[in-house]
Amino acid sequence: MSRYPSVMPRPELPEEFQFLCMLHNVGAISPERALNISEISKWTNKESSAIKNYLGRLHELGYVHSSKKNESEKYHVSITGIRKVLTLYS
Amino acid sequence: MRICLLSWEFPPRIVGGISRHVFGLAKSLAKMKNEVVVVTLDFPGVPDYEEIEDFKVYRSRTEVGHPNFLTWAFLFNHFLEKELAKAHKDVDFDLIHIHDWLVAPAGVSFQHLMNKPLICTMHSTEHGRSGLHNPDSYMIDGMEWWACYESSKVIVTSQSMKGEICGHFNLSGEKVDVIANGVDSEKYDINIDRRDVRRSFGVKDHEKLILFVGRLVPQKGVEYLIQAIPRISGRFPEAKFIIVGEGWMRSHLEWLADQSDQRWRINFTGFISDNDLIALTKSADVMVIPSVYEPFGIVALEGMAAGVPVVASQVGGLAEVIEHNKTGVYAYSRNPDSIGWGVERVLSDPGYRDWLVKNGYEKVRTQFSWTAVAEHTMDVYKRVLGEG
Repeated sequence: MSRYPSVMPRPELPEEFQFLCMLHNVGAISPERALNISEISKWTNKESSAIKNYLGRLHELGYVHSSKKNESEKYHVSITGIRKVLTLYS
Repeated sequence: MRICLLSWEFPPRIVGGISRHVFGLAKSLAKMKNEVVVVTLDFPGVPDYEEIEDFKVYRSRTEVGHPNFLTWAFLFNHFLEKELAKAHKDVDFDLIHIHDWLVAPAGVSFQHLMNKPLICTMHSTEHGRSGLHNPDSYMIDGMEWWACYESSKVIVTSQSMKGEICGHFNLSGEKVDVIANGVDSEKYDINIDRRDVRRSFGVKDHEKLILFVGRLVPQKGVEYLIQAIPRISGRFPEAKFIIVGEGWMRSHLEWLADQSDQRWRINFTGFISDNDLIALTKSADVMVIPSVYEPFGIVALEGMAAGVPVVASQVGGLAEVIEHNKTGVYAYSRNPDSIGWGVERVLSDPGYRDWLVKNGYEKVRTQFSWTAVAEHTMDVYKRVLGEG
C-alpha cells in the first residue's frame, strides 16, 4: 500500500538552515542587533552572493526579517526563525 | 527554601518540554511558599527581569556571539553566570537546580563558588537524541556525564530515562530520582467553539482531525505518521492531518508529503500560540505521537488532559505514561502500518474512544499535576540539604 521505501534516507541539515543557525548564534536576533551582508560575511566566512541567496529564501519563509538602517539593509532572525533554530539544540 | 532554577528554555522561549517543565515547577514551588528565582536566556520582546506568579525571572543577554554552536553555548553560560551573580545579590540561594547540559558550566561554577548543592534534571541525552556520531556529540555526551557527576542528585522524568543514564553514565541508582512530568490540566477547562476552531485549520465538521504536536526533528518520527496517511485515509476518506511544530526537518517532511497524493489532507501549521494549541487539541479526534525516542512525552499528558484519545509509540517514557487499551493505544515505533492500525482502532469505535478519553482524563488529573512534581522535587531538595 505504501509508496515509500521501507528504510527512509535521513536528510542532511539543509545549508540554509545551517546559515540560519550561524546568524542566530552570532546574536542577530532582534532589529537592534541586525547585521548587514558585509558583517554577516565576516562572521560566517561566506561569499556575499551565497549570503544573499540564503537570506532571500529565509526571508521568503519568514525565518529572517530585514530593515533599512543608514541606507544599509540589515537582517536578523525572526521569532519563528529562532524557534526553528532552537529545535536543533534541544 | 530559596531555590534557583537555571534553564536555557523558559516561556516564551519554548522549544520542547523543558520550558513547560521549568515554568510548572517554578509556579508550584512558589505556591508552596518557597522563594524561587529562574535564571534563563533572553528572548525578543520580553523584559530582562520580571515577576510572574510569585517567582522572579532573570533573563540573560548573550552580548558576544559566535557562529559555532558549542562556542556560542559556552559564551551564553558566561553571561548566565553574570546573571546568577546578580540574582544571588538579591537572594542567598540554598541550592541551584539546572535543567540539561546546556546550562551545566554556569551551574557547576556557581556550585563551587557559592558552596551550594547542585541538582540536575536530565530531560534527555545526546546518546538517545541522535547517537554519538561526531566530535560535537561526544563533547555534549561528556558534558552530560559531567553535569550528573557534579550534582548531589540527578532527577529524570521516567524509569526508562533512569535506566538510560545509569547505564550510559555508570551512575549509581541511588543518586537518581524519577519524578514524572506534570500538566496544567486547568488550562484545558475552557469552552471552545469546536466547529470554529476546526474550520480555522481547514477541517470541516464531518472530517476526522488527526493531530501531531511536536518538534519536527528525527526523534519525533513524524515521517512514519506521514507514511501511515495512505492507509488511514483509505479507511477514512474524510481524514485530515494537522502537524503542529517547527524544526529543521520541516522542509524534508513537506517534501515527503508532496511525494504522496495525500498532500491536500496535510496542514503544516508551524509554531502556534498556547491558546490556539489548547483549542486545537480539544478539537482533535485523535492525537498521534509517533516518536522513536521520548524520555517522557509531555504531549501525551496534554492530549489526555484535553480529552483526546492518544495513539503513541511504545518507547521510553510514553510506555510509562500510557496504559495500552486503557488510557491510550500503543503502536510499534517506526512502523507506519502499526500507527495506521492504532488510529483506525480509535476512529472506528466511538465507545472505545470514549473509554480511552475518560480513563486518560482521570489519570492525568489525579497523577500528573505540577503540584505533585513540586512536592517530589522538594523531597529531593530536603534530602540534599540534610533536612529530609
